[in-house]
Amino acid sequence: MTALAPPAALRSGLGYWWHSYRMMLRWEITSLRLVLPVTVMVQVLTGAGFVLALGLFFGRVPPRAALFVSTGVVVLTLTTIGLVLGPQLIAQQKAEQTYDFLWSLPVPRTTAAFAWLTTNLVLGLPGMLVALGVAQLRYDLDLHVSPAIVPAVLLTLLTGTMIGYALAHALGNPMLIAAITQLFIFVILGFSPINFPADQLPDWLAALHRWLPLAPMADTVRAGLTVGVVEDVTRSYLVLGAWAAASVGATAAILRRRG
Amino acid sequence: MDGYDWSLRVRDLVKVFNQKVRANDGITLTVEPGEVYGLLGPNGAGKSTLVKQVIGLLAPDAGTIALGPHDLVADPDAARQLCSYLPQAQMPIASFRAREAIDITGMIRGGDSESVARRRDELIEALDIGEWHNTLGARLSGGVRRLVGFAMVTVCPGRVVVLDEPTNDVDPLRRRLLWQEVRRLGDAGVAVLLVTHNVMEAERAVDRLAVIDRGRLLAEGTPSSLKAEDRGRLRLQVMLAPRAETPELPPFVQHHTRVGHNLLTVIAEAEAAHAIGWAQELIGLGLAEEYALGATTLEDVYIRLTGDVEAGGGTVP
Repeated sequence: MTALAPPAALRSGLGYWWHSYRMMLRWEITSLRLVLPVTVMVQVLTGAGFVLALGLFFGRVPPRAALFVSTGVVVLTLTTIGLVLGPQLIAQQKAEQTYDFLWSLPVPRTTAAFAWLTTNLVLGLPGMLVALGVAQLRYDLDLHVSPAIVPAVLLTLLTGTMIGYALAHALGNPMLIAAITQLFIFVILGFSPINFPADQLPDWLAALHRWLPLAPMADTVRAGLTVGVVEDVTRSYLVLGAWAAASVGATAAILRRRG
Repeated sequence: MDGYDWSLRVRDLVKVFNQKVRANDGITLTVEPGEVYGLLGPNGAGKSTLVKQVIGLLAPDAGTIALGPHDLVADPDAARQLCSYLPQAQMPIASFRAREAIDITGMIRGGDSESVARRRDELIEALDIGEWHNTLGARLSGGVRRLVGFAMVTVCPGRVVVLDEPTNDVDPLRRRLLWQEVRRLGDAGVAVLLVTHNVMEAERAVDRLAVIDRGRLLAEGTPSSLKAEDRGRLRLQVMLAPRAETPELPPFVQHHTRVGHNLLTVIAEAEAAHAIGWAQELIGLGLAEEYALGATTLEDVYIRLTGDVEAGGGTVP
């Protein structure tokens, strides 16, 4: 019989953090195993579908519009996972009462957040790449991919994921979380200057979007894929950076919270 | 030995929700290493609230929780590392193979892969769930999933293992296997905190127990010490006829409660003959179908203390 030795000392330090991160990542990926292929497929199909639907709808698409929509779809695929799928999974854990068990696991809580962020990257990247590839084939886009796409994608993913994560953990009622994610989809798809320029929105909404994270996400990602389309990317980085810092801060506070 | 007191020490614990509901109202208890300690009480008694403070999910409004040299209220990270928790709800392992779920939690709890694998195999054998070791959680029956959850929590146990209704959905044979494993945890020096409202099961499984209601500890002791007050008394259980009203009770009935068609009464030993006569009379009148007379059980103590009839599964002697 194996000796059952209760823990002698508390674990701590970088080794403990790294081990816990790897284990939580394994937990996340295994938890999603049954839905992972479908989720990635849905991301790929909605991204590519969005790009192709534009051509079906308008027939001849002006190059600038094609460029806007195709680069905007990247932001759509990156944000919907963090802002919609993530909160829905947490809502499900709360509804099924499995949340307490996961929350009682002996890992630094930041490792759970980082594992979820990594999972989002795995879920989001294929959809993003396929959407861009399809757009390039269909519209012969004038893409200029620069290294700036890497920080833009990471910052967009980080901010979207952490806002969704903090919100879902903060709200107790799973129904409320589900309702808010519906609102997110509505706002992201219909009323955000992601797939179209902000000047097509009413002035007040355009002004509001200057301070919300969605337009800066689209600007920074677009600036990493094109030349001469985005004017003031520095401001977008500053606003998005502030949202990233705030969402990480909110997540850190929620992770420490006890009822 | 490291010289620390590894008993779980809960002192004057108070937890208030919404500034008015006193879910825990000054609870003090100690669970020694190696002890299986039962926490009994009806729904809403404050058991889960107490447990969630021990494992660091809730912060108390007053009072202390200590384990070894650690203050678990100030250091919830230590609480999570030192306590393992099997919640009442099912584990989120739909897409995990049984074996895999046990392995990952073992390694999350700090075990190395080799000793986790060894202990996992032992648990799978001890709980007799080998035929499902490679089955996805989604395809497991509730009882087997429960046993896998137990193995996940105890593959690398903490100093304290909290089990909330561990035998829910588990078949009678495997329940016995599970209780044996709980005993082994105790033998290894783990303090086991068992939350349940199945009084009959608790009576056999625990070393000591506390009865909690409305956030307060009503009684604490070994099962026999709690039953001591009922010495000299018997329980008369009358199975009433369907749709029968509760009959008028003779003066020798000291306590009574009704659970469905079951009328549970406590009487003095000296009144046994009268009691049998009364029960036979009820049957003769068609008001009852059968009766049983026996020694008082922990359930009678529980009912006397809490006035509660909810003793899931434990009403048949």
